[in-house]
Amino acid sequence: MNTVDANLTHRRKKISLNQWILTIVLSLGSFVMIVPFLWMLVTSFDWAARLHINFPPRLWPEEPSIKTFEVAFTSIKMFRYISNSILVSVGVIIVSALSALLSGYALSKLRFKGANIVLLLALSTMMIPFEMTMIPQYLLFSKMGLVDNYLAFYLPALNYAFGTFLAKAFFDQLPTTLREAAILDGAKEVSVFGRVYLPLCTPIIATMVILLFLGVWNDMLWPLLILKKATKYTIQIGLAMFTYNNGIDKQPSIIMAATTVSLIPVVVVYMFLQRYIIESIALSGIKQ
Amino acid sequence: MSLNAKMKTDTALKPQVKRKRRFTRNDWMGYLFSAPLIIGVLAFAIYPMIAALIMSFHQTSGLSIGGKWVGLSNYDYVLSDSLFWQALTNTLFIGIWSVLLGIALSFVLASLINNLKWHTGKNFFKAVFFLPNVVSGVATTLLFSFLFYPSKEGLLNFVIGWFGIDPVGWFTNPQVSRYSIVLMSLWGALGYNTIIFLAGLQSVPRDLYEAAEVDGAGTYRKWLYVTIPYLRPIFVFMLIMGTIGGMKRFTDVWLIGGTAGNPGGSLMTVVLYIYRNAFLSSQMGTATAASYLLFIMIFVLTAVMMLLNRRKDSFD
Repeated sequence: MNTVDANLTHRRKKISLNQWILTIVLSLGSFVMIVPFLWMLVTSFDWAARLHINFPPRLWPEEPSIKTFEVAFTSIKMFRYISNSILVSVGVIIVSALSALLSGYALSKLRFKGANIVLLLALSTMMIPFEMTMIPQYLLFSKMGLVDNYLAFYLPALNYAFGTFLAKAFFDQLPTTLREAAILDGAKEVSVFGRVYLPLCTPIIATMVILLFLGVWNDMLWPLLILKKATKYTIQIGLAMFTYNNGIDKQPSIIMAATTVSLIPVVVVYMFLQRYIIESIALSGIKQ
Repeated sequence: MSLNAKMKTDTALKPQVKRKRRFTRNDWMGYLFSAPLIIGVLAFAIYPMIAALIMSFHQTSGLSIGGKWVGLSNYDYVLSDSLFWQALTNTLFIGIWSVLLGIALSFVLASLINNLKWHTGKNFFKAVFFLPNVVSGVATTLLFSFLFYPSKEGLLNFVIGWFGIDPVGWFTNPQVSRYSIVLMSLWGALGYNTIIFLAGLQSVPRDLYEAAEVDGAGTYRKWLYVTIPYLRPIFVFMLIMGTIGGMKRFTDVWLIGGTAGNPGGSLMTVVLYIYRNAFLSSQMGTATAASYLLFIMIFVLTAVMMLLNRRKDSFD
């Protein structure tokens, strides 16, 4: 007994040295990853850095102030941009998730004629890069007079093949007998979907909402093409246009304050759902 | 579009269909439920694909889709445009460096995190390294334009100053700017690859390691001869995803160097080239031809890498 114990403690010690080195190396790496964020935060609260970067770099603002944020909110219309971004995100999430859930349900549970063709078609279009279809899409929407209209975001959201793929895989795991029983009881297809299956779909809905939110909130290319009026800008294009027109490395603390604000939603979502996000990304292996 | 029409006449057709028994009620429900997806795919993937192909054979004027048929001359123009080749070289240069460095670094990182026995620490490091991944391209670029500030005030120049190195014009010197983009994208993408590798590392069967131990392999050799070959599909997946992502580089280079790909055209990329032609000079034909060339390149690269993966798969 005693020798076994001694052996164990001996091993544990040996392991822990190794583990200490690992922890130190990883901590140094994390520090490098975190430094840009720290610099951003320090600068964003520093009134002294509104025109030039502080030299030498500081660990604490020279003139701590939230005036930088006030200026950011007045010179860049952050309130407007953020509410626009929320409007776009919510709409896209609803359209995409509904389209994916409905089609995933149909492909998995209804097994209609041509279901395989539909699935194959949808999945193969995932290979098409957006950069390739953006010009005809832009022309299509400008012809329909939908430039500066958020329908230009909501309508293409119908095509969420990756979500369909996720939803179908999820529905495949749910028993078909649920549907058969409900149909025998005289339930309509829509209520089978909405009342029987949908409540079971929370995990997959959460995954889609997270991935879609991060994708839509952070997107800049499509807003750049389709949004011309500054009052319609989403947060990314608003921020980008402000710096694009004023020079990218001017007004450090104002820009950093605006950037910090633009990051709050994603970082908050990330902090609360961090393990969930990491899991769904590891699982899906595809970032939307 | 024909399916779209079918959906509209769904109710009208029903009795007739029932008699013929060609489509059951189940089938119609299926079409109805998949209608949003089908419409979306047809209108926003298939149609633009075809429209872009047609446009690439036309001399377009302004914003119209049609125009004068010019055959392959748009492709001819793009392929003989030195700016396109410059854009392609830059895109590949930045893409290859960021993909290879990104995969190597994140694999080492994932291996380190995976060997950590301290559970809380494991989750903490995962979370920290992944954090930049949720940050938008715009925010990353703005942040790095200050960190990479060309004078001694920039943080990176300050740090290399400790080692007696003169300030570098990270984003202003055409000799350096492409490497700076690689550095920036490493920061942004490292965590994503790490998470995927970690999932892969946890899937390596224990008995493979045990067998290797019986054969006398140490930690390092197990890593080299068991882990790496077993994870080859993941390496290939990352190569594919990284290459596709790298070929589409736009946001950061546009913000840093504008549509000219400054400094000195060193940050001109293929998508920037497409954007310029389409939205600055309204040469939609040229732009769509370039976008088809981009698509073909992505397609060929992906196919080649998938074929490489299929060969001598010892673990299947």
